[in-house]
Amino acid sequence: MEVQKEAQRIMTLSVWKMYHSRMQRGGLRLHRSLQLSLVMRSARELYLSAKVEAHEPEVPLPPVRSPDPRLHQSREAEAGAEAAPPDGEPTSPEPMDTREAPRAEETPARCAPRPTKVSRKRRNSSLSDGGDVGLVPSKKARLEEEEEGASSEVPDRLQPPPAQAEGAFPNLARVLQRRFSGLLNCSPAAPPTAPPACEAKPACRPADSMLNVLVRAVVAF
Amino acid sequence: MNEYRADIISTVEFNHTGELLATGDKGGRVVIFQREQESKNQVHRRGEYNVYSTFQSHEPEFDYLKSLEIEEKINKIRWLPQQNAAYFLLSTNDKTVKLWKVSERDKRPEGYNLKDEEGRLRDPATITTLRVPVLRPMDLMVEATPRRVFANAHTYHINSISVNSDYETYMSADDLRINLWNFEITNQSFNIVDIKPANMEELTEVITAAEFHPHHCNSFVYSSSKGTIRLCDMRASALCDRHSKFFEEPEDPSNRSFFSEIISSISDVKFSHSGRYIMTRDYLTVKVWDLNMENRPIETYQVHDYLRSKLCSLYENDCIFDKFECVWNGSDSVIMTGSYNNFFRMFDRNTKRDVTLEASRENSKPRAILKPRKVCVGGKRRKDEISVDSLDFSKKILHTAWHPSENIIAVAATNNLYIFQDKVN
Repeated sequence: MEVQKEAQRIMTLSVWKMYHSRMQRGGLRLHRSLQLSLVMRSARELYLSAKVEAHEPEVPLPPVRSPDPRLHQSREAEAGAEAAPPDGEPTSPEPMDTREAPRAEETPARCAPRPTKVSRKRRNSSLSDGGDVGLVPSKKARLEEEEEGASSEVPDRLQPPPAQAEGAFPNLARVLQRRFSGLLNCSPAAPPTAPPACEAKPACRPADSMLNVLVRAVVAF
Repeated sequence: MNEYRADIISTVEFNHTGELLATGDKGGRVVIFQREQESKNQVHRRGEYNVYSTFQSHEPEFDYLKSLEIEEKINKIRWLPQQNAAYFLLSTNDKTVKLWKVSERDKRPEGYNLKDEEGRLRDPATITTLRVPVLRPMDLMVEATPRRVFANAHTYHINSISVNSDYETYMSADDLRINLWNFEITNQSFNIVDIKPANMEELTEVITAAEFHPHHCNSFVYSSSKGTIRLCDMRASALCDRHSKFFEEPEDPSNRSFFSEIISSISDVKFSHSGRYIMTRDYLTVKVWDLNMENRPIETYQVHDYLRSKLCSLYENDCIFDKFECVWNGSDSVIMTGSYNNFFRMFDRNTKRDVTLEASRENSKPRAILKPRKVCVGGKRRKDEISVDSLDFSKKILHTAWHPSENIIAVAATNNLYIFQDKVN
């Protein structure tokens, strides 16, 4: 359990560092990003192996929120790339999830050439519906993105992404989402250890973890 | 933690004779010190270094295409060997390399016909005689002029430059590519190493440092973030993606830890003056490799092994990403590198003795002898020792330089430059 907590703390810290490094003078540093991702990967492996060990000796009664099957699901499906909303959400986002997955993959790639447009939308959606939606983007925002995506998809595919070079991990958000999506719902009370540099609302809902918030912050950029 | 201070020294380099010492800082400035000529009148005043020239090498720039600011911080300075009265050096920031000419002017022409002494044009009607202008002595003026600007060749951040022994070419290395330049040509460079994967998500290692062989103009080495070094021969092919030699030490499984991968990243690589050895610096050690033995280094020196158990804290405060440099002395018998708390370490390769010294104002009055320092690892701390937890990690010595032939060292401690010399009897 200690190991799990420590691993998660390091993951959270790494995500924050990666987010923060994008704002540094001189731009994203490839070497630093690589090192951070290595640490994140090690932390994730440690977290998962500690988790498996923790569950092994238990009687095979699945916990209420069954994080393991969900973990399996998200890893296998890969379409659940977007951070899945917690249980309390209405089911309407469900179909949106699978449809949004390919969008989510493209959005970060588009993020580099057109960061302001995408991030503005997300920010609005989270700020305007303060208490209700919280950090999950509203349907409206998603639809807008899809429209945007559809219209600009073709030209983007034709051009080689110009900022591929500086976006050392142009699909950083996608990688994060894919790798951590299973973990995002698993720890209800992750203490917000990272500094509140992003627009975090730590107390909004119990199921959301700081990692969730940070991933969104990274995706927005 | 990271205050932006323009005067933080970011590189230190002696020229080939040791007469000049150049420093570059975060604000893009270069300051050159010159050693005083030793005079017979002042025997006990061995040549001290005084400021010779100061100039702004790089300015902050903005890449509009990527919406990125390009830092003006000088990453490296490398001198060219002197071929005439002027001095030449290369200085680089993240994206652009510049060739600077530093020259002295101690005479000026006087006695122009069409201009008066202040340079104002004279009314031609007042000129009744002609005279020949003559050169008169003036106060020494040192001027630096940019002779070449080598720009737009690097997508990633430049970490190294190295002058070839042919003195006609040099290389610049960024995270994924190394380019070869001719000093005379600024609009073209040859790409000699490219490790960029087709899919950036498959990226596993980056280039961290590169250097030409001191005598063989066809050979160079580059180090990676995975702790490996590759020796390349430019005669083999135009693109040196395949190495001639590959230096890697198998990992010690007992040392494996969470942060193993990132502390094995090599931050500096230097050929010995002889050209027979290479020295590499990673986060905790300095290693000496024989060019003829690829499977392990011939010597490994622990710089600050007491930090091995503190890696997690060092990750939190970003210190684990610090890039320390290392240097050889003139005879390749001693190697030196920096540490924290303004400590720097020297290792004698022959006697196997090592010493820890401190660069600080309190401990170094002029002409005082530096006292060896010791870090107490655990248990009882002796009077002069300092415990690991008391170390100041904001005081780091990343850049040092050793005079090419004498025992004079330059140590950069944040924004201060310390110059230490051997004791004179």
